Amino acid sequence: MKRNYFYLCVAAVAFFEVAIFWLSVEIADPLPSVIAIIIGILGIYLAKGNIDEVIEDERTQKITEITALRTLQITWIGLFLFALWIIIEALGEGIRRFNRPLGIFGFRLLLLLCGIIVLYVILSLYYNKKYGA
Amino acid sequence: MKNKIKVYRAMHDLSQEALANEVGVTRQTILAIENGKYDPSLILAARIARFFKVRIDDVFLLETIDE
Repeated sequence: MKRNYFYLCVAAVAFFEVAIFWLSVEIADPLPSVIAIIIGILGIYLAKGNIDEVIEDERTQKITEITALRTLQITWIGLFLFALWIIIEALGEGIRRFNRPLGIFGFRLLLLLCGIIVLYVILSLYYNKKYGA
Repeated sequence: MKNKIKVYRAMHDLSQEALANEVGVTRQTILAIENGKYDPSLILAARIARFFKVRIDDVFLLETIDE
């Protein structure tokens, strides 16, 4: 498969996803969208394996790694500051007037961020082991 | 790190695209290496050197250790 043909396939899958999304909205059922996204990802993955030309190499992989890491770092810090802001807002007028829904949202966000750190540590240990540490 | 890929390509009358296909990378990667924007892995450096039938240090020259 040629590289441009692959990009056309990706565009077709994107149109397909949008169509299924609207169908999901019309019938008020998220399941078709979820299934369509899984099928779309699998389709793109399979199509990518059949490309004759090189579209990914060590340089693009390095770019992807650095981009992903920076995105994670910026997102994590941004969400952490946002969670702190929300918790301070919720506690702002004292514990007795604690804005419960807002505070719970802030603490849940903090919990999610802790989960991301745990996932990062687990994956880091796994890859350290895989690459000889 | 400096390199002489452009010189060796000219000697072999080879385009960036052709070299990229021979060593299994994209043309943009060859361009980035030639312009000194990207330092290739040891494997890629070895592939390029092997393709030109020379040693790695004939193609790549480490000038300073800055990392």
